[in-house]
Amino acid sequence: MAAAVIGIRLRSQAHLLAREPWRAVILGLGLVWLLLMLPSLVWGRTALALQPGDIRADALVAVFTLVAVGWVVVPIATSGLDDTLDPARFRSLGVAAGRLMPGLAAGALLTIPAIATSVALAGLATSWAADGVGALAVALAGAVLTVACLVVGARVAAAWTADALSSSRSRLTTLVLAAVGVAALVPAAWQLHAQGLEAFIEVDADTLIHQLGLTPLGAGAAAPLALVAGDPLGVVWRLGMQAAWLALLLGAWRAIVDRALVAPPSIGTGTRRTRDEVLDPRPSLFAPRESAARAVRTRLRRAWRTDPRYLAMLAGAFILPALLGLVAVPGLGLDERWLYVCPLALAASSGWGRHNDVAYDSTAVWMDVTAGSLGPAVMRGRMSAALAWAAPSVAVVALAMLAVTGRWADAPGLLGACAGVMGLTLGISAVASVLVPYRVPAPGQSPFGAEVGSVGAGLLAQLASSAATLALVPLVLAPFILSLVVAPWWGAVALALGVVVGVGGYLGGVRLGGAAYDARAGALLAAVA
Amino acid sequence: MTGAAAPALQLRGLSKRFGATVAVDRLDLDIPAGSFYGVVGPNGAGKTTTLSMATGLLRPDAGSVGVLGINLWSRPAEAKALLGVLPDGLHTFDRLTGAELISYAGRLRGLDRATVRARRDDLLAALDLADAASTLVMDYSAGMTKKIGLACALVHAPRVLVLDEPFEAVDPVSGAAIRHLLAGFVEAGGTVVLSSHVMALVERLCDRVAIVGGGRVLAAGTLDQVRAGASLEERFVAWVGGPQERDLAWLRRS
Repeated sequence: MAAAVIGIRLRSQAHLLAREPWRAVILGLGLVWLLLMLPSLVWGRTALALQPGDIRADALVAVFTLVAVGWVVVPIATSGLDDTLDPARFRSLGVAAGRLMPGLAAGALLTIPAIATSVALAGLATSWAADGVGALAVALAGAVLTVACLVVGARVAAAWTADALSSSRSRLTTLVLAAVGVAALVPAAWQLHAQGLEAFIEVDADTLIHQLGLTPLGAGAAAPLALVAGDPLGVVWRLGMQAAWLALLLGAWRAIVDRALVAPPSIGTGTRRTRDEVLDPRPSLFAPRESAARAVRTRLRRAWRTDPRYLAMLAGAFILPALLGLVAVPGLGLDERWLYVCPLALAASSGWGRHNDVAYDSTAVWMDVTAGSLGPAVMRGRMSAALAWAAPSVAVVALAMLAVTGRWADAPGLLGACAGVMGLTLGISAVASVLVPYRVPAPGQSPFGAEVGSVGAGLLAQLASSAATLALVPLVLAPFILSLVVAPWWGAVALALGVVVGVGGYLGGVRLGGAAYDARAGALLAAVA
Repeated sequence: MTGAAAPALQLRGLSKRFGATVAVDRLDLDIPAGSFYGVVGPNGAGKTTTLSMATGLLRPDAGSVGVLGINLWSRPAEAKALLGVLPDGLHTFDRLTGAELISYAGRLRGLDRATVRARRDDLLAALDLADAASTLVMDYSAGMTKKIGLACALVHAPRVLVLDEPFEAVDPVSGAAIRHLLAGFVEAGGTVVLSSHVMALVERLCDRVAIVGGGRVLAAGTLDQVRAGASLEERFVAWVGGPQERDLAWLRRS
């Protein structure tokens, strides 16, 4: 059965590559990247082998932990996970989960990220070779168990996160947990800020890495040191814990597959809404008056509140600003004015993040396309729906940072720069989402699923919108920076320029994006389906 | 040719290729205004691709589409205003309720609130969806989704309705309501173009029919002309070829 499942995966992939050769190019680039990383890996392995055992073990624990965090965060925040072997596709075949699992597990390992991680961690583990065959064997066993945990853990994390975003009750729970998580980070950020990064590394990082070596995140990496130190029991319990963690993850994945094999294709929420919000919309900020634009805005606002795919994007928009504010600025001991990057980054990620907005309509885009030449109205509705949550969020974060610094004289410049960045990035996204859309999970599918090569297709579109953003955003950032480092009166310039450029960018984007929408109306369905 | 004298749909030299596959090959077809027109063909014949190009969903590689004399691809806003479209197998904005989805279609078409409200309620009642008006479309059955899609296609009172498999998954009672509604639409001067695999349905409803195969029109005309004294199914099989005979003996238990 495992061979059959792997065969399905490989054949599906081959057919997809034959049908759309550009995916083969992306895949080839991925393999080239993998090969280019090999010299770095060899260098890293050699450097590690020259270190004393305790330092080598600490370094490997840190690397294994970072990779583990990446395996959970990256698929959820950006790339998604290859869903060729989505268990739901086996629903009609009547195959038990137990028979499918070996094939699904092997299929999950046959992806470029999994192969790259396996090669990297196993390669680094061989740095224990000089300490004897036993140490090398333990190190490789630890690396293998860690990779298996990462691959299975990513599947479980993506499935659970998708579940967490799928109903209003679970969304509320997720929101509360996220708030608790952020609240827990604040004291750590404050500690980091108070000590400075160097002191933190000297005093706390050692302790932290030691503790991580006692958890499934780093136990596999720490096990060889136990053997070298003459503690075979330490080896056994570390590898045993790693194996037990893998068994737990496999059990959780098995439960997910079990449910996917019997759940109906679409699980409704049974929600009833007596108010027709399209016809009688609630009054709100930035709402366009034109009927078509208003209708589009209303449906997009519903999507932003209830569609897991949009909620995942919403969460993604806040990740970078939160990391900057809670980790980077205090960690690097930067001047408090650097906190202003938080609202600016939020403005940029809110606007730039919409660069594939149209694709999220999936094939439902037919409704807008067949209704007329409504490009400008459709884009105005779409962008104003994003502005409805992004503008207040950026304003709140900007005011919060001003409150932290106490430098209220910086307010005009900061608010102007934020307005400029948001308007420009929304405008660029309005155009990019029509010109270079790429496929995303369809409505009802997991927000974290991805086709082979979709990451590459997304990267190309992201590079295009990023290049435009990087070319234009300095225009509104420069006066604000001058207001902070040269003379405060530049703040007034930043405010005026930011508002003018922001509004101009937004309206220009809507207009250009709308014109492109009408010009490409006959190609959009095929581009996003 | 414009206005009343023009065909409801005039397809000239329509072509579409997907990679090495020619889906539609220089297809010509005139659909007279006021007709109830059936488009039939085997799977993969190019029906959906043709209807997609005829409604503005897919740009043809070559050829033109006229809607009551207006070129769809050069004057899309005017032409699309005359069309009501129900595609097959595509998503809808299913996080709206049924009532909201009809309102959405109406507001996109620029109708005022009072008109949309009145037509929305009429359509929900006519299609037996009044009880499900407040339910999200994602919770609808396949048949209900089809009916709400038809309501969206009708809300702006188009002159030409293009419906891809409109009766698929619809229960017999609702099917009768839809047939009644469409017949009334044609009687009032509208044009209905529907694609279907159900020959009996096409024979029952349509006064004209086209058989499409291999991306081209194999036969077209009034129902009697195309049937030529036989049943539509017999003529269809004659045009596109009968089923391959293969004895699946292993399916028989004894």
